[in-house]
Amino acid sequence: MGVTCVSQWPVPDGKSGQQAVEMLQRRLEATGATKAGSFCVDCETYMSGQSITPSKTAHVMHSTGHPLTCFAIMDSGTCLVADSNFDQLMTKLKGFYAPRKGAKIEVKGPRYEYVDFIVKIGTVTTGPTASSRGILVEVEYTPCVVPNDCWSLLTEFMGTFMGDNKPAIPQVLASKQDGIYSPTDTILQYLEHFNNYRKSTGNK
Amino acid sequence: MASDVRVSVEALQENQVQEVSLDGQETYVQPLSMSENLAKLAHRIDFSQEDSDGEVQLEPGEEEEEEEEERKKQEAHWPWESIRDKLRTSLVETNVLLDVLKIAKDKKYMVLDPVSQEPQPSKPVLQYVAKKESLSGAADILQKGADRLAKSQAEFSSGSRGQGDFHRELLKLRQYWRLRRAGNNILGDLSFKSAGSHYWHSGVFEVVKTTEEGMAPGSSPLEVRIPSDLEGNAYIQVVIEDQLETIIAVKAALLPNSRREAAPGEPPWNVKLEAAQNVLFCKELFAQLAREAVQMKSTIPHLVVGNQITSQIFPGVQLSIALCHNTVEEDSKDDTTSPQRCQHNHVLEHALHQMLREVHRSNLNPAPPHPVTAPFSSSKKRRVAGPQGLDRKQCTQLQETEGLLERLEKQAKHTLLRARILDMIDKLAQEVNDPCLQAHVSSIGTSTESSVRIIITSPGYEQICKTMLHVNIGVEDVKVVSKDGKVITLSYDEHELRDLLLHQACQHQVNTVQSLSKMMGWQILHLSNHVGTGPVEKLGNASGIMMASPKGDRVISVRNSPSLGPLVSVQLTRQKGCETWRSDVIKDTKWDQVGGSFKPVQWDKAKGRNFVNKIELLMGCLT
Amino acid sequence: MSGGVSMQEYLLQGSVLDSSCETLLHRLRGLSDNVDTGPEAFVDQEMVYILRGSQTPPVMLRARRALDQPDSLPWQLRYVGTAEAGIGDKSRSTLVRTCIDVATSDNVTTFLTDMGFRLDHECVVKGYLFTKGCIKVTVSKIFRVTVPGNTENLEPLSLSHLVELSVVSPSGQDEVADTMKLFAEQLKPIVQLEKVDHRRLQQV
Repeated sequence: MGVTCVSQWPVPDGKSGQQAVEMLQRRLEATGATKAGSFCVDCETYMSGQSITPSKTAHVMHSTGHPLTCFAIMDSGTCLVADSNFDQLMTKLKGFYAPRKGAKIEVKGPRYEYVDFIVKIGTVTTGPTASSRGILVEVEYTPCVVPNDCWSLLTEFMGTFMGDNKPAIPQVLASKQDGIYSPTDTILQYLEHFNNYRKSTGNK
Repeated sequence: MASDVRVSVEALQENQVQEVSLDGQETYVQPLSMSENLAKLAHRIDFSQEDSDGEVQLEPGEEEEEEEEERKKQEAHWPWESIRDKLRTSLVETNVLLDVLKIAKDKKYMVLDPVSQEPQPSKPVLQYVAKKESLSGAADILQKGADRLAKSQAEFSSGSRGQGDFHRELLKLRQYWRLRRAGNNILGDLSFKSAGSHYWHSGVFEVVKTTEEGMAPGSSPLEVRIPSDLEGNAYIQVVIEDQLETIIAVKAALLPNSRREAAPGEPPWNVKLEAAQNVLFCKELFAQLAREAVQMKSTIPHLVVGNQITSQIFPGVQLSIALCHNTVEEDSKDDTTSPQRCQHNHVLEHALHQMLREVHRSNLNPAPPHPVTAPFSSSKKRRVAGPQGLDRKQCTQLQETEGLLERLEKQAKHTLLRARILDMIDKLAQEVNDPCLQAHVSSIGTSTESSVRIIITSPGYEQICKTMLHVNIGVEDVKVVSKDGKVITLSYDEHELRDLLLHQACQHQVNTVQSLSKMMGWQILHLSNHVGTGPVEKLGNASGIMMASPKGDRVISVRNSPSLGPLVSVQLTRQKGCETWRSDVIKDTKWDQVGGSFKPVQWDKAKGRNFVNKIELLMGCLT
Repeated sequence: MSGGVSMQEYLLQGSVLDSSCETLLHRLRGLSDNVDTGPEAFVDQEMVYILRGSQTPPVMLRARRALDQPDSLPWQLRYVGTAEAGIGDKSRSTLVRTCIDVATSDNVTTFLTDMGFRLDHECVVKGYLFTKGCIKVTVSKIFRVTVPGNTENLEPLSLSHLVELSVVSPSGQDEVADTMKLFAEQLKPIVQLEKVDHRRLQQV
């Protein structure tokens, strides 16, 4: 477990998402990273029924990076980290919380390892049609858990294959500073990106 | 008669409750009408009984008793003429019967002959017979019991063996072994199930009483019958072998000696049971090891053939684990025919036991759940895995548990490595006299790690310089920690350590000379542990030192290398008397100090006990 | 403990007076597996949360944590279903109900409140845990928490101990019920363990 930065990778004009992913993969492989399986992060959104006022939203997320864990985030920002059994619990609450239709969002793609770094390049898809929304890049530096201590190293590494498109420090990391990074922070970053995608599609 | 008495009949005030429904409503039984009531009462009269009883109650006056009882009925019957008629006829009939009996009694005119088995008279007789029989049966049982008790009492008091002894033995057996009764048999359990074993074998044995005829003097009245596959004796043999010879052999068994005699006062069944339990233990251990051997993925696959598992631990070194189970009695020669050339390793044997016991224990005692509603899980860590969001790597680590075989192999590797290294150090210490190598093997260590402290000194100069090395022997590698904290990791080949030690010995000598020169007031011109000049060394680098005498007119150069040994040269300044050097150009006397060429010292002819001593003497004569 | 398998709890309950509790503990100690280690003492805090709705039946969740152990242990969130049909069925020797156990992070109480749950009641349970194979036996005393949230101020609820025999296993393994019944038989004169219909208790 280390410090992770999740960032959005813009798809260049005139290129498909697939091409953009392939380009990133080529760059990574050129630096010497080796492919090590694939990854997937998914998010299901539940809306409260009429019986609860004011209405609330709950996001239930899973990540292959944390295979035994299920994350549940309320719109208030409380993030519960639980066993994977939590999904069953949600089915028992279906009278109160129902999954929002077509709101399932997922990011999937290859996973790379480069010494102490783990890089995941994922295509974001939503809904039952699995239409592509964009690309997310997750970079993790495993030996360190204090964001301040390794952020510069992270950005430097990201610069090697992301070039000028390397991200600024994410809000979650910036607020952590010398605190200890936890898996929740990674999930919150994903959720933030997912919400951005949702908003952008909503505007369209 | 009944007609004289007036009796009024009234219905009960409260009707009977037929049922109470769930809402509390009571349903009553509807009161009977007069005629219904009559019919009901009439049903109660047992006319046939009346007939049979009637023979005694002849007189109408006596009959009144009966009438009295059923006054109500009679009252009610009154309108029923037929009832009274029947009673009348029955009375007449009984009167006739009485007459007949009276006549028959006289035996003048009439004789009564048994015609058929009449139920009435035969009944009591039969009962008596039955009672008699059952009583005699009960008496027999009691008698037998009493006989047995008396017999056992007699035996007990006389001290002879028999039934009483059997029970005493059984009691003793019960103190050591689990017994239960199944029907008429007494079954025991010698498996490790209650200790947490999951092995399939039931380990059931039967306890029987020795039959009288088969009882030899001195044998126990109690005999145990163990399953045939647990008979004999067994042990697990662990052998580490080189291509040429066996290095270490271990026989692991539950019992120290597979064939032991009963201790004085120990019943023979205990020996038998312990042997059987030992067989069971060995079998379980081997089954577990074999299962792991098949499952384990390694570069050189494990061979499981019959009762033997073979694996390579180091190139050319094999570890073979075998289950030796002798069911027949004659095998005791085998032990003597194969002389034990190799040492017995108690640690490895103990480890085998310990590991299986640990498995048992962990089967039995999983990490207790807290809070108690939490499900059972293999470990505390597994329980927090979800909420702490362990990542993929940590999760796989959770699932990975080291098997018995893996641990055994590690221990075997360590044992072998340690044996080799200690052997090498011993030989080296004998070989190298100057400087002295001392090795202290630490008594504290684990089954996969031990350490040796090596001190290199020059005799007589211990106070000046001491080189200390800490050698940590692991499973597949050796780590050497020097005094300055530098860690050198070496492979399992003990020659690497040998080379390192030789090199260290050379360096030590040079370092001692350095300290010595400081004390003697000599000036060090140059010191290097890795001299770049001179012939190429076979291993490592030579170390060298150059030092000048206090006056500065003599220089000693020492080059010491593990392969070539010490090379000492002395440089003398030009002889003072030799004026030919003086030229017009070089006038100053200081140029006299410029050194001439180095001349090697014939070191083996130099005086002194050892290298440092020789240097000291040399320094002394050059000062 | 994968997310997909639905679990069922087989339960037998009984109670024993404090005066004869010691006898029961001795008996259990002899019968249970942890003979050598002795009974495992525990002090748990249980908080019961209810989510009520206008149309849907309320959902009750129990959050539980160990008070006597360091904080590293997770909270347990537990959903217990109503007893399965056939509580009156003589052939079934134990109560059977669906049960979901989720280990969660320690912010579970906040999370539940955010979801709309209300704290119904809380209690502290002190007692001993025994195991026999897969059977979990608890002998515990329930304490009322007089000051909400303060687990120091306790008041015993009754003069007896609650005895519970439970097995949580994947559904359809009815043979465990018989094993439990057999075990319960062995405790018979000291404690009578029965299947208790909680719905009927609530009606009384």
